[in-house]
Amino acid sequence: MSTDIDREKSMELPDLHMPDDAPLAGTCIRIDHPEQGLAVLVLDPPHRKKAVLDMALMRDLVSALDEIERDERLRALVITGREPLNFAVGADVKAIEAVDDNDQALALIRFGQLAFERIAKLSRHGGGRLLTVAAVGGPVPGGAYELSLACDRIVLADDPASRIGLPEVKLGIIPGWGGTQRLPRRIGVPRALNAILTGRLFKPSAAKKLGMVDRLTHPEYLLRIASDIALGRMKCRRADRGIWRWLIDRNPLAINIIKSQAEKSVRRETRGQYPAPFAALAMVVRAPKLSMDAGLLEEAERVTPLITGSITKSLVGLFGRSEEAKKLAQLPSGERAAGIGRAGVIGAGVMGGGIASLFAEKGVATRLRDLDQAAVDASVYGHRVQIDKLKKKRRIKKHEAVAAIDRLEFTTEPVGFSRCELVIEAVAEKLAIKQAVLGELASAVAEDAILATNTSSLSVTAIAEGVPHPERVVGMHFFNPVRRMPLIEIVRGEATSDDVVARTARLALAIGKTPVVVKDVAGFLVNRLLGPYLDEALRLWEGGADPVAVDEALLDFGMPMGPFELLDEVGLDIAAHAADSLQAAYGERMTKSDSLSALIEAGELGKKTGRGIYLWNPGKRDRLVKGDRNPRFSRPTGGKRPDAHLAAHEMIDRCVLAMLAEAARCLEEDVVATRGELDLATVFGMGFAPFRGGLWSYAEARGLADVRKRLEELARSPAVAERTGGAERFSPHGPLASS
Amino acid sequence: MDSRGKRIVLAAGLRLPQVRAGGAFGAEDTGHLGASAARELLARTGIDPAELDEVIVGSVGPPHDQANIGRVVGLRAGVPESVPGYTVGRNCASGMQAVTEAATRIHAGNGDLFMCVGAEAMSAYPLHFNQRATRFFGKLAGARSLGQKLSAIGSWRPAMLAPRIALIEGLTDPTNGMIMGKTAERLVRDYGISREEVDAFALESHQRAKKARDAGRFAREIVPFMPLGKNGKKGSLLHDDGIRDNQSMTALGRMRPYFDKPDGVVTVGNACGISDGATALLITTEERAAELGLKPLAAIRSWAWTGCDPARMGLGPVYSSAQALEHAGCELDDMGIIEINEAFAAQVIACRRAFSSDEFAQKKLGRSQALGHVSPERMNKNGGAIALGHPVGATGARLLLTVAHELEVSDQELGLATLCIGGGQGGAVVLERVAA
Repeated sequence: MSTDIDREKSMELPDLHMPDDAPLAGTCIRIDHPEQGLAVLVLDPPHRKKAVLDMALMRDLVSALDEIERDERLRALVITGREPLNFAVGADVKAIEAVDDNDQALALIRFGQLAFERIAKLSRHGGGRLLTVAAVGGPVPGGAYELSLACDRIVLADDPASRIGLPEVKLGIIPGWGGTQRLPRRIGVPRALNAILTGRLFKPSAAKKLGMVDRLTHPEYLLRIASDIALGRMKCRRADRGIWRWLIDRNPLAINIIKSQAEKSVRRETRGQYPAPFAALAMVVRAPKLSMDAGLLEEAERVTPLITGSITKSLVGLFGRSEEAKKLAQLPSGERAAGIGRAGVIGAGVMGGGIASLFAEKGVATRLRDLDQAAVDASVYGHRVQIDKLKKKRRIKKHEAVAAIDRLEFTTEPVGFSRCELVIEAVAEKLAIKQAVLGELASAVAEDAILATNTSSLSVTAIAEGVPHPERVVGMHFFNPVRRMPLIEIVRGEATSDDVVARTARLALAIGKTPVVVKDVAGFLVNRLLGPYLDEALRLWEGGADPVAVDEALLDFGMPMGPFELLDEVGLDIAAHAADSLQAAYGERMTKSDSLSALIEAGELGKKTGRGIYLWNPGKRDRLVKGDRNPRFSRPTGGKRPDAHLAAHEMIDRCVLAMLAEAARCLEEDVVATRGELDLATVFGMGFAPFRGGLWSYAEARGLADVRKRLEELARSPAVAERTGGAERFSPHGPLASS
Repeated sequence: MDSRGKRIVLAAGLRLPQVRAGGAFGAEDTGHLGASAARELLARTGIDPAELDEVIVGSVGPPHDQANIGRVVGLRAGVPESVPGYTVGRNCASGMQAVTEAATRIHAGNGDLFMCVGAEAMSAYPLHFNQRATRFFGKLAGARSLGQKLSAIGSWRPAMLAPRIALIEGLTDPTNGMIMGKTAERLVRDYGISREEVDAFALESHQRAKKARDAGRFAREIVPFMPLGKNGKKGSLLHDDGIRDNQSMTALGRMRPYFDKPDGVVTVGNACGISDGATALLITTEERAAELGLKPLAAIRSWAWTGCDPARMGLGPVYSSAQALEHAGCELDDMGIIEINEAFAAQVIACRRAFSSDEFAQKKLGRSQALGHVSPERMNKNGGAIALGHPVGATGARLLLTVAHELEVSDQELGLATLCIGGGQGGAVVLERVAA
C-alpha cells in the first residue's frame, strides 16, 4: 500500500488548529517498552487534564507511529491513556467549532483518518505484523473510540465511569475518523446504525454484549490484561459477525429494508432539519460493501460540509454553553458549592411529586409533604411506578431501584424536615400561601438551609419578604413535565446570596438538569418569552389563520410542537393565568388575547381534560385526534380576516419575532447574564430549534439589522398596529435597537 | 435512676400499621418495613444518624437474602456506613430483645444511642425444598457424564415436591415437636379454660382495639405506610387491618379448633393473627436525650428474661414479670398499665390465673404469695395481638411503644410489657414515666 503517500499527506497538516497552549512536539505521547516485543503507547498530553485528540496530540501520534513502524523487533502494541479511566474524551470540539473552510475541514478529517489507518495497517487485522490492543476506560466517545476501532482488540475498563460510543450526530456531524466504516464491519449494520444514529454512549456491559469491545476487566488490571492479549499470552476473541455478515450486512434485500425503516424513523424525528443522521445512515449501510479506502474517502467528503455547516456550529455552541452552565455550581472563589444530601418538597401535585421523585431517584434523600394524604400517596405510588419502569428497562439495577424507593419519605404533618439542606415548595400559586409555607419552614430547618420556591409567576423577592434570613430564599423553577424538561431556571431574588445560587445550581446539575440563573422578573426568562409567542399565535387565529397551519409552520421551523398544541399541553387555564401576570407586569405589549375564555369557561382546558383547542384522544399515547379542532374554539362571525392567507414564513415571523423582541428587552435588562445563556434557556426550556443554536443565535444568523427591519414592518402591519399594544410588542429594544 | 447507673429511656418511637400476612404487605420484605420505620423515626427526631452507636434489629425470620437484617435496615434507612448494625433473635421477643440489648450496652458503657427495630414480614416466609429434593439437585448439579446425569434424573421422586413450610416449622418447637397452638391447648387443659372464655376474650380484644382506633389512640404510635407493589395503588395504610369491627360470639363460636381437633378450644379466631409490621425505638440515656432535644416517652425501670417448660411456654410472662418486678422493687399492683402479648387468648387467661395463684407462686416462683391480680381494666386496654396482629419480630418493641404511650394517656406512673416466647421463655420490661 501507498503508506509513503499517506505519510506525505499527513505531513501537510495545517497547524492553525493547534490549541493555544499546545506543548512542544513529542510531549503528548509516550512510548513505554515494559517488555520485549511490546510497545505501550500512552496518551499523556501535559496541557490537558483529560486527553483530547487535538492537533498537538495527533501530531505526536503520527511521529510515535513513525517510531513504531521503524521498530522491527516489535510484535505487539497497546494504546492506552495515562490512567485506566482516563483515555481520551474525543476530538477537539473547539477545533471543530473554529473550522469554517471546507478545505481545512477536509484536511483535518483526512489527517485523523490516515493516522488511524496506519494503526489499522500495522495491526494483524489489517495485514500488519503487530497485535494491537486498545486499553481504554472512562469516557471513550467519538474520536477516542474511532482510534480504538482501528486496533485488533478493544479492552474496556469495567467501571461505572466508562462510557463508549459515537455521539457525533448529536453535534450535527457524523463519525469522520473511520467510525462509520469500522463500526458496522465490527458489529454489523443494524447495531452500528442504532449506535451511530442515537449517538448513545454505552455502559461497559452493553458495549461488550453488542461486540463494541472484546473484553472487560477491572481498571486495575487493564494494562496487564491488554499486554497479555497483545503478546498472545491470553486469548481474546475479536467480536465476529460470522454468518450474519452474509445474511444481513451483505444481503441487499435485508439492507434495503433496514435502510428504508431507518430513513423513515429519522425523517419522522428530524422533520428533515438535520442532515447528519441521513449521511450517517448512507455511510453505515454501505460500509460492508465498500473498500476501506473508498469508504474513508466518502466519509471524509460527507462529514466536511457538516463540520463547516451552521447546524454543527449551533450544536457545538450549545454543547459548549451547557458545559459552561456547569460552572454555575462554583462559588465566586472558584470553590465548588456544597452538595445537597437531604431535601424536602412541600406540595405533592404534579410538579411537587415529580420533583420529589427525581430527587429521590438521583440520590437525594427526600421528604415529601402535602396536607392531603391522597395527593401524597399518588405521588409516592407514581414514583415507584417510574422507578420500576427504569428497572425494567435496565436503566438502573435492582438494588439501585430499591434505594431510590427507600429514599422518598412522605408525610402529611409538618415534621421531619429539620435536617433538610434544601426545601422546595410547589404549593398553590398564591403569594400568601407560599409566604406562609416558607415562613413555617424557616423555623423548622437550619438557618443556612435553602428555601426554594418553584413558583412560575410570583416574585421570589416578594415571597422571601418576612422570611428570616431571606438570603437563602431562591427560585428553582422546574418545567412540566419535570422528568423530561432539561432546564431549571434559578431565580435570584434581591436578597439571594451567591452561595445559595451556587448550591442550588449544583443540585440542579446533580439531578441531571441544566441550570440558568435569571433575574427575578415576571415570568422569569422562558415564560416571559413564551408569553408573546403564544399570544401572537392566538392573534393569528383571531385574524383568520388556521391553528393546524400555524402549528405546522412552527414545527417546520424547528419547534418541538406548535403553539396551539403547546397551549393544550400546558393547560389553557394555566396559560391564561401566566398571560395575566405578564400583562400585569409589563403592560400594553403583553395585552392578552381573549380568545381562550370560552373554552376556559366551559372547562375545556386542553390535554388534561381531553378537549382544548384540539380534541384529544387520551387512550392513544396522547396523539391528536386527526385534524379535529374543538368546535367551541370558534371565531366570532364577521370582522376582518387579515391573517387568513398568510404564508408559513409570515406566521413564523409573527410568533418568533414577537418572542425575539422580548428577548432583546431581557438582554437589555440583564435578565440573563449572557446571550449564550439566553440561547441555552430557549433550547432547553422551550425546545427552540437546537439546530438554530437558540433564539438569539437565530437572530444573529438572520442578521440583527434584518430582524429590526422586519420587526418595524410587522409593527406597522394592520393586523398588529390596530390592536392594543401590538406595535409596542414588535418594537426593537436593547441590542436590536442599536443594530 | 436504677442501681446500675444511667437512666435509660425510650427517647422516641413509632410503628407501621400491622397487617394480616398475605394481604396488603404481600410484596413487602423485612428490610423495607424495618428501614421505613427507622427512616421515619430519624426524620422525626431530627438526630444525625451518624451519632448512632448501633442499629439493632430483632427479627425471627429475616429473609435469606438479608441475613443480617440489622445492617440492611441501617443502610436502607439512610444511616451512614460507619454505624454498624446487627440482628438479634429471641423468637416472639426479638423486638424486645433489641431494646434490652441496647440497655445492656449502655450499662456496660458501650454506647449510648441506639436505633432498635423490631421487624417481620411473615408474608415473605418461603417454602423450602425438602432434604430429599435438595440432595437430588445436588446430585444433578454434580453429574458430569451423560450416565451420571441420567441416573441423577432417574432418582427423582414425586415426594420431592412436598415443600417445607417455613411458617409452620418456624412456629413449632423442635425440642418437643409441639406447634405453638398445641402449647396453648396444654394450658387450656391445665387450667380448665372453656371455649366461651377464650372467645369472649378474643371478642373483647377486637372491641377494645376498635374503640382505641376510632378514638385516635393509635395515631400516637402509627405512621402511614404505603406498601410496595400493586397494593400501594390503594394508598397508604393508616391503621392495623386485623381489627374486626363486626366480630361476634356467634362468628367466633362457628370456628373449628385448629390445633387440637375435635376437642380443643384454640381457633384462628381466638389466636393472634399472622402479620407483617415494624416498630422502631430510639434507646438512649436521659441525659443524651436532653442533649438531643428529645422528650422521652418513658424510662426503662427493669427487665428480665426467664425460662420455663417449653410445652407451657405461654406461662413465660408470669416468670419474667415476677423477676422484672423484683428488679424494679415493685409489686404487680403498682403497675398501672399491663400489656401481655395475646399469642393466644387461652394463654393470656392462663397467665392471669397463674399471676393470682398462691400455689403457682409457691411452687414455681419461690414466693409465698401470688404476684397479684391482673385486672382487665389495666391490661391490654387497646386490645392486643388477636386484633392488632403479631408480626413476631416486631411485637416485643410494639408492646413497649404501647405501654410508653399508655402511661401518659392513662396518667399512670409504671407499666409492664411482657410476652411469652416459643421454646419456653418469657420476657418482661417495667417502664416508668419520665417527668415532663
